[in-house]
Amino acid sequence: MTVAAKRVPAGGGPGIRRPTLGIPPALGALVALALVWELLGRAVGPVFLPPLSAVLVRLVDLVVTGQILGSLATSLTNLVVGFAIALGLGLGVGMLMGGYPRIEAALDIYVNAFLTTPSLVFAPIFYTIFGLSRGSIIGLIVMYSTFIMIVNTMSAIRNVSPSLIEMGRSFCASDRQLFRKVILPAATPLIMAGVRIGAGRAVKGMINGEMFIAIVGLGKLMIDNGRKFDSDGVLAVLLVIILVAFTAAKAVQIVDARLTSWLPSTVRVE
Amino acid sequence: MITIAGLRKVFPGRTGAEDVEALHDINLTIKDNEFLTIIGPSGCGKTTLLRAIAGLLPIDDGEIRIDGAPIRGPGPERAMVFQNIALLPWDTVLANVAFGLELRGVPQAEREEKARHFIRLVGLAGWERRMPLELSGGMQQRVGLARALAVEPKVLLMDEPFGSLDEQTRRLLQEELIRIWETTRTTVVFITHSMEEAVLLGDRVVLLSPRPGSIVEIVPVPLARPRGGRVDDMGWSAELLGITAKLWRRLRDMQPDLVRAPPAVAVTP
Repeated sequence: MTVAAKRVPAGGGPGIRRPTLGIPPALGALVALALVWELLGRAVGPVFLPPLSAVLVRLVDLVVTGQILGSLATSLTNLVVGFAIALGLGLGVGMLMGGYPRIEAALDIYVNAFLTTPSLVFAPIFYTIFGLSRGSIIGLIVMYSTFIMIVNTMSAIRNVSPSLIEMGRSFCASDRQLFRKVILPAATPLIMAGVRIGAGRAVKGMINGEMFIAIVGLGKLMIDNGRKFDSDGVLAVLLVIILVAFTAAKAVQIVDARLTSWLPSTVRVE
Repeated sequence: MITIAGLRKVFPGRTGAEDVEALHDINLTIKDNEFLTIIGPSGCGKTTLLRAIAGLLPIDDGEIRIDGAPIRGPGPERAMVFQNIALLPWDTVLANVAFGLELRGVPQAEREEKARHFIRLVGLAGWERRMPLELSGGMQQRVGLARALAVEPKVLLMDEPFGSLDEQTRRLLQEELIRIWETTRTTVVFITHSMEEAVLLGDRVVLLSPRPGSIVEIVPVPLARPRGGRVDDMGWSAELLGITAKLWRRLRDMQPDLVRAPPAVAVTP
């Protein structure tokens, strides 16, 4: 074996460090994507795919004229109200179903039916009840995100280790103490996994609601620009929507990390 | 004093299967401050017996009394140490040890002071703020022991507490348990499947037969502690070896039963 072969193992072992230029991978991917978009846009022409620079100029324009901020405020209000209702329903009903087998037996089939049904089919129903108002959109957001949180919360409660519950009972915990001090903390990681999915679905519900029922908020802005064949504008709004979805996911993630910092993956060994 | 009279426990079979009798006519008196070990082949109902004493399991026949009062569910005079330890992974060592006191509404400062005392007693001083998952199995079970001791029970129920630990850790903890028991003087009911552990620790060893579990023999171990020498000294006295040999013979006598009737699968509700 030569000296060179020893120094540089063929194929590169797990210990090999590659030069990273000090750029975080996520940022690197973002820059690469932006470059590809820009170049592709310039190559195929602005009708098919406007280059990123044109979209960003349009975005600044939309911000300066106040169109984005107004729409964003409308959309976010719907999102927050809808998600708050969904969260209350999802955790509440889920905990009841997890804790009481009779409630689960009564509701399980319906919850699963609603979970599998495409939520958008409820749009016409809300439209007839609430008309072209905020209520329709909030209703749709609730339909989109509640059921996944119910199902997750239920199985989270159901999956709490029986030995922890037995331990609590052996120390004479009342039902209330058992729930607050053992079952709920033990179920939190799985419950939060459901809340994360629920938050994502709430954003989906918000945009679908705004595009298909009451034409308001970011959805309206998107449709307006589409009707004018303003593809710069459509993509600019799309960027904002992605940002909203990303922020919502990140917010839930931060809460999750706080609540479940005791999980093994975050155990710090010194 | 714990008196168990005519205790019988039957687990209902799943649909189509026969009911399983886990315990049959158990009669046993456990004296105050006694260290009682219960041993038997797997599936003989040792853990079922302990859970019945803990009040975690309804019984079908007979009764269990503590100082004359029949037990109805878990009580403050009993505390349990679990085979799978069952610590709360989201709470510190301190909070885990104080758990039983917290449930009883003891104010925080008072319960933490008490918890610190028992953490010191089990040799974990300095680890109060650590999380259970940062601890080794042996240290986790020390926390489990401290948690049970912290409620100052009259009866300590231990369900194969060292069963999942490695040999060295187990020997060390056995030694410390005896040391702690000699200072706290609680009654201990200790389940084990290790013959060595049963004779090293117990004032008396109760031998259970396989399903349905019933008492085959109660063997006194009238020897001074520490027995079998310390961890660094493997000397076993002739008396200790004699008692162990006798228990082994009795256990072997039970084997034909095991072969004739396949042990039924335990169905816990």
